[in-house]
Amino acid sequence: MAELANIPWNLILPILGLQLILMIVALIDLIRNQRTNGPFIMWIFIILLLNLVGPILYFIFGRRQA
Amino acid sequence: MNVLLEATGLSKRYGEQKAVDAVSFTLDAFTATALIGPNGAGKTTTLSMLAGLVTQTEGSISFEGSADQEIRSHIGFLPQYPKFFPWLSAIEFTEMAAKLSGLGAREARAEAQKTLEFVGLGKALNKRTGTFSGGMKQRLGLAQAIVHKPKLLLLDEPVSALDPVGRRQIMNLLKELQHQTTILYSTHILNDAEEMTDQLLFMQHGKLIEQGSLNEFRQRYAEPKIRIEFEGAEETQRFEQASPWKVELAGAIGWIDLTGKQVSMSDVLALLSSGRYGVRKVEKQSASLEEIFMKVVQ
Amino acid sequence: MKGFSVLLHKEWREQVRNFKLLWIPLVFIIFGIIEPVTNHFLPQIMKSVGNMPDGMDFPWPEFAPKEILVSLMGQYQSIGLLIIVLAFMGAISSERKNGTATLLYVRPISYASYFLSKWTMINILVLASVWVGFLAGWYYTAQLFGSIPAADVFAFLAAYSLWIIFVVSIVLALSAWLPTGGVAALGLFLTLIMAILDSVIGAYWTVTPWKISTYASYILMGSMDYPTFWKAAGLTVFLIILLVLFGSYMSGRNAAKTTV
Repeated sequence: MAELANIPWNLILPILGLQLILMIVALIDLIRNQRTNGPFIMWIFIILLLNLVGPILYFIFGRRQA
Repeated sequence: MNVLLEATGLSKRYGEQKAVDAVSFTLDAFTATALIGPNGAGKTTTLSMLAGLVTQTEGSISFEGSADQEIRSHIGFLPQYPKFFPWLSAIEFTEMAAKLSGLGAREARAEAQKTLEFVGLGKALNKRTGTFSGGMKQRLGLAQAIVHKPKLLLLDEPVSALDPVGRRQIMNLLKELQHQTTILYSTHILNDAEEMTDQLLFMQHGKLIEQGSLNEFRQRYAEPKIRIEFEGAEETQRFEQASPWKVELAGAIGWIDLTGKQVSMSDVLALLSSGRYGVRKVEKQSASLEEIFMKVVQ
Repeated sequence: MKGFSVLLHKEWREQVRNFKLLWIPLVFIIFGIIEPVTNHFLPQIMKSVGNMPDGMDFPWPEFAPKEILVSLMGQYQSIGLLIIVLAFMGAISSERKNGTATLLYVRPISYASYFLSKWTMINILVLASVWVGFLAGWYYTAQLFGSIPAADVFAFLAAYSLWIIFVVSIVLALSAWLPTGGVAALGLFLTLIMAILDSVIGAYWTVTPWKISTYASYILMGSMDYPTFWKAAGLTVFLIILLVLFGSYMSGRNAAKTTV
């Protein structure tokens, strides 16, 4: 537990928070748009599981315009 | 009549292939012209050249008597499948279109709203175009083409992609615009062309093979016939034997071909009454555009 | 410049509603924070993961604050450029391909204002992203390593911005010229790969846009030979102007290729 207390949360939290925002924005866009290049479910997993890279991949490759 | 646009010897070559080959025609102001032809005849390429999208390989286009006008300032264009930025609403798109065609900010807003209401999108003004159905897109496409009141309206297959109801509705809108502006529209559906046209242009394999008004075409190509509906098939046969003219038979119906013959309606009626036939209906028929088209193409 | 402000407004709406205005700055900020934080904790991380025998002290280099910003720039020179090229490769070519450009091209717009509206908006977005990313990195560096004078940071950012504008100009000029696939390939080559090649084999020439990022780091460190920098910057500005002219011309020439 001492290890956990040593982690400087005040430094790490902003990073985690921003990544969470990025992930949520990607998910909102995905669900609202409904159209993707490739399977819809796959992109949900990519966004949720690949930290930081997942949302970027979705915005660049997964998003499809009508 | 005032000539609005004159195309002289318009050609477009893509490599070896001639998409449009030496096409010449004039559009009179406030008339509607139908550009008819099968798929791949060069209709879209012709319209694209007039719209300033594609530069012709040869030939010239003169607008209001001048060849070096910025023609894009005077036209409204509706592609066969109009595509919109899905993240803009109908009113935002139409307003942008109006501004790009030179309307001031306030005028653009007012005209955009008015035009969208005219095409029946009054309830969808603020909806994103990405959510629009095919019929709504066609209406929006029409709205963006007319919002700036262009002198020439170019429409590429304006109703071909629509279901019968949508087709009827758009056709009615177009008829409201007829004679308010000059319209050139392409179609491969001849019934549509028959409905709204002062001039017909027939295209095939990139060439303009015939042009004229619908009446001129009828006189030139039509084979007028007299159609007689009898009460039964045996009556038809009896008439055929008595008739000095050749009669085509189909059950209770007989046709007399009038082409090149000196047969008048009263002659036919006289014969009918003399033989005491049981007749339901007698009428003179002129050829439909469909039949004319088949003849022109052959 | 007919239609410039109308088209600029359209570009703005596009970036807002496609979330690019949100996700691109966010990504640059995240990298801006991660860089100083990981560098700060790297010795500890190595120690806990690295199974090193007790008593052995790994001589971890002490980073100067400015070196953190330079290594953040290294991130932007790889992942950052990749994102810029891929996010904007279709700016013109996809509009042409999917046919949305058709209804713009049949209006009396000038292709220069069409191209410049995109060039302006995308530059604003990308520069803002790079700047907030570096500002976040600067703040964290100041907390973890020590402060850097603001004048040095801003001089560095100004120089690096010139390189970013050059990159955006390349991507857009290519997008006006080629289909999207070609933009991606040639775009990555002309920015990311060329910058690496220039730093590896370009020891004999100094006046090149691909060294501007290196020069920006020299400016930060205070070791830049300014006459050389100004020559390279002048050439870069000249090439940017050429790219804008080429892009405007190609937008018009390729208007016929739009899907009707």
